[in-house]
Amino acid sequence: MFQYYFMLGLRSLRRNPALTALMVLTLAIGVAASVSTLTILHVMSGNPIPHKSDRLLVPLIDVGPLLDYTPGDAPEDVQMTYTDARNLLKSGQGERRTAIYGIAAAVEPARKDIGVFSAQGLAATADFFAMFEAPFLHGQAWGEAEDASGAQVVVLGRAMAEKLFGQTNPVGQRVTMMGGSYQVVGVLEKWIPIPRYYRLISGLGSFGTEDEYMIPFQAAINGKNQNNGNTNCTANSGAGYQAFIDSECTWIQFWFEAKSSAERATLQTYMDGYVAEQRKLGRLKRNVAPKLFDVMEWMEYNKVIGNDSKLSAWLAFAFLLLCLVNAIGLLLAKFSVRAAEVGIRRALGASQREIFRQFLIETAVVGLAGGVLGLLLTFGALALIAMQSKQMAIVAHMDWVMLTFTFILSVAAAMLAGLLPTWRACQVTPAMQLKSQ
Amino acid sequence: MLRMTNLSKVYRTHMIETHALRGFEIHVNKGEFVTVTGPSGSGKTSFLNIAGLLEEFTEGEYILDGVNVKGMDDNARSRLRNEKLGFIFQGFNLIPDLSLFDNVDVPLRYRGFNAAERKERIEDALAKVGLASRMKHYPAELSGGQQQRVAIARALAGSPKLLLADEPTGNLDTQMARGVMELLEEINAQGTTILMVTHDPELAVRSQRNVHIIDGQVSDLVRKSPTLFDAKAAAGTHAG
Repeated sequence: MFQYYFMLGLRSLRRNPALTALMVLTLAIGVAASVSTLTILHVMSGNPIPHKSDRLLVPLIDVGPLLDYTPGDAPEDVQMTYTDARNLLKSGQGERRTAIYGIAAAVEPARKDIGVFSAQGLAATADFFAMFEAPFLHGQAWGEAEDASGAQVVVLGRAMAEKLFGQTNPVGQRVTMMGGSYQVVGVLEKWIPIPRYYRLISGLGSFGTEDEYMIPFQAAINGKNQNNGNTNCTANSGAGYQAFIDSECTWIQFWFEAKSSAERATLQTYMDGYVAEQRKLGRLKRNVAPKLFDVMEWMEYNKVIGNDSKLSAWLAFAFLLLCLVNAIGLLLAKFSVRAAEVGIRRALGASQREIFRQFLIETAVVGLAGGVLGLLLTFGALALIAMQSKQMAIVAHMDWVMLTFTFILSVAAAMLAGLLPTWRACQVTPAMQLKSQ
Repeated sequence: MLRMTNLSKVYRTHMIETHALRGFEIHVNKGEFVTVTGPSGSGKTSFLNIAGLLEEFTEGEYILDGVNVKGMDDNARSRLRNEKLGFIFQGFNLIPDLSLFDNVDVPLRYRGFNAAERKERIEDALAKVGLASRMKHYPAELSGGQQQRVAIARALAGSPKLLLADEPTGNLDTQMARGVMELLEEINAQGTTILMVTHDPELAVRSQRNVHIIDGQVSDLVRKSPTLFDAKAAAGTHAG
């Protein structure tokens, strides 16, 4: 009977075309508003590295002063000092470790047709590439020896490699930047994790930015490269680069990769011991246990999805609810003129349950039509949102999950709106309708 | 085929109670053609609605083809209605946006026949009423008489035991009414029991038996000759 009722539903769309169009449009607008905001939330809140997100861990050490501190206060910053980063890199804890900070470089191309330009990149250790599974187009990451010596090697992002060397493989070539000559050891494929979870704290934002190059962490320190991002100091760091890196200013993002999710407890124990030791040494003032965050916890802690995004999703759903109330009214009008048909069908053997099924499937067909139109409107809305900024362009795209969700939402919304009108249609007294015909 | 014993139907509002049927007794045998007459408000329609399982009765007993319908839930009543009964209404009651084929198909869908059997039954039923060539037409494209023939085809398609007709010729001119009546007589001659409400005394005398209802009770039973053709011969005489 489902197929029969579905066909009747399709025919019913042609009956009262103006009313049907109004219903489909009402539903489509409500669905488009909710799905477009949900799509953005869905992309923003997606797990960027699902198979190992619980093994990638960020340690958080509170290095803040006691002045104005009340136990329970959040740390001044979520980044790490150079001292802690250096110690943890040497700790040998976890399967892999990396310390990251942003750098900006003036690049002097060998090609005469391109002038000097500024590029934004990262300083990280070799483990960075394996930990975050950065995909290589050419070459590979540098090794431990380069990390230790701070060798002037570079892994280029694809866009910068093509800008400097065209389509040729540049591995082995040299790039002059930051006053030094860096040998290219690898080129990454286009790589834009959404969100850019490995370095959430930066001026570049969490979405839509691609690092143009990576150099060894120690090479950046040796080259006295300033942090190109947020730096938090609670006291004067003193004069000179050495004083800065020895200070309690926080500017580095640190990650462990655990061998298994069970190793998290081991890492926590190690961090507890480390912090206790540093407190004993007089470095850490506050009596706060260090914390570990996995990828999803880290994104939640840093509010990658802001409250305003959540609020807009709620507002969109409220709007959908409003549309549903309208749809209920329209469906009541549509079904009220069908009382005679209900009477006839009941006389011919349809039970109330069958009438309920028929009309509910009919509303589902309206929902499907609303879903198709809603999907088109959603694409339009997302295109408009994408025009707002490069970051929004990255998140404002639809995937199969959201596409399927659009139809499910539309059909479910229509069926929900159809419950009351359908129930009322079932209450028709057939005898009265048949006589009044 | 149909037996009602001491049956009553009371419509209640906050203010008043109306007894549509009281102490109602009737027995219709298999293969009979029974007409039901009576003045407006006498309870004819209530009787027909109860007989057709479209309304529940207040008290008494109703046996339809050996099945006691009292206390049946909506699903069971609907199934029984679909399997044993066929309806013909004064206003034809076809679904306007379905073709003739699809209109006749409606009760067969609820019966759960497969597509091949439905098609065969629909074609047979429409052929019986002389509308086989117009299966794809819509009700609005037909005359009143033709629409009533489609309604008869729809009622017949499921091979009902009892055909309930509520003034089936009431909206038709004389010629069309005669055609419909002859068709009903043919159907009855083939073994289908027919119970027909009518205001028309001429039609009443053509049936084997006329039941007259006044104030919700059977006031008079007039048994006519056992064959319709005898009744036809007696046309022109009036029931007592």
